[in-house]
Amino acid sequence: MEFGHPHPFSNSESVIQASVMDVMNEMIDEATLGISFEVHRACKLGTLFLGDTDPKSEKDHMIVDKPGIDVFGQIPTKKQFECVCPNCQRHLAASRFAPHLEKCMGMGRNSSRIASRRIANTSSKRDSDDSPEDNDNDSDWSYHVDRKVKKLKKDKTNNSPRRNKSSKLKNGDTGIENTGTPESNIPTYEQMTIEERKALLLQTCGVISEHTKKMCTRTHRCPQHTDDQRKQVRQFLLVPQGCGGDDDIQIDIDSYDDADSQSLREHLQWEVASSNSSPTDSTSTNNSTSSKKRAGQKSGSSKVSMNKKKKPPRPPDISTASVIPGSTSSLYDFV
Amino acid sequence: MADLQDRKMKDAAMRAKINQKLVETGERERLMELLRTRLIECGWRDQLKQHCKDIVKQKGLEHITVDDLVAEITPKGRALVPDNVKKELLQRIRTFLSKQSSV
Repeated sequence: MEFGHPHPFSNSESVIQASVMDVMNEMIDEATLGISFEVHRACKLGTLFLGDTDPKSEKDHMIVDKPGIDVFGQIPTKKQFECVCPNCQRHLAASRFAPHLEKCMGMGRNSSRIASRRIANTSSKRDSDDSPEDNDNDSDWSYHVDRKVKKLKKDKTNNSPRRNKSSKLKNGDTGIENTGTPESNIPTYEQMTIEERKALLLQTCGVISEHTKKMCTRTHRCPQHTDDQRKQVRQFLLVPQGCGGDDDIQIDIDSYDDADSQSLREHLQWEVASSNSSPTDSTSTNNSTSSKKRAGQKSGSSKVSMNKKKKPPRPPDISTASVIPGSTSSLYDFV
Repeated sequence: MADLQDRKMKDAAMRAKINQKLVETGERERLMELLRTRLIECGWRDQLKQHCKDIVKQKGLEHITVDDLVAEITPKGRALVPDNVKKELLQRIRTFLSKQSSV
């Protein structure tokens, strides 16, 4: 049979080629047939058009195939997980959320009062000024925690309920004026005016701790610090930096010593004599006097109250009362 | 005339022989699997299915038969297969045949 063909090999090759093509087409047809059956079955079951949507949404949600953007057509951005505080509506990093809630909402035993006070403070602050400095001081809102470790520490000592509790325990025996002045006022002495510093220093020991950078909130007689330390602190805080105008300040502090001490002494006598009147009452009665004077009286009266505490049954002791203004004045006797 | 008939018979015999070999060794099944994968990969399946849907819409869901579908989409299916898939399949069959003949 093959004799009739001039090129038997190429002929058989072409026959094989054609046969292979046929086999391939058969296979393709088989795949097509599979699809036909599938579609027909879907037709009869009514499931063929279930996956379809209307043309509009199909157009809206088309898969985007462009370099640089994802399938939704958005530019991929590295997103920080953020939470919104339900209490103050601020955004903050998720890792800082729990510690923030502790302070903001007030969980635990002690912090509810602190929290409410803090909320009141922040809300009034936010109403008045939205300065970035306000946010910078808040450790919760800064991602760059390392850069502000110092500030963060300060903040923590300020607001954490646990810290506050321990300090309260420490201050438990110090008397009335310490519970009266909230602790959160003290570490901000850098921002205080000279007048405010003066008022504070007249009431408290005020020695700045090496470790906590906070001022001692006890009385002038606190055993932890010496008179020299107190003197140093007063010099540091009350002398304006870089200018030699320390004369008038000295006068300011000591001014009550001459004329006012007389009235103070009288006042103290009167106060100790009426032994059941509280020192706060006495200060309130003398509210009309100048603020400078009031500050002096307050420190004096608090000392008297200390004395009263220690030895209540003793009769009014004028000598101790009159000694105190001298001793306090010696405290401020720098230059 | 006789020659043409002769050739057709020869082709058919050859095809039957190749098919038999493919089926016997199980190679056909493997090749079918490969072909299906390639056709899905290149989107041929989706294209063809979309075409089927068009046909069904055109003819009406109730009146469509398998014969209609096969008649409509078989030529389309052959035409839509990409050349590289065809080439790969051909190459595979040829290698298989050459191996078989050498054994």
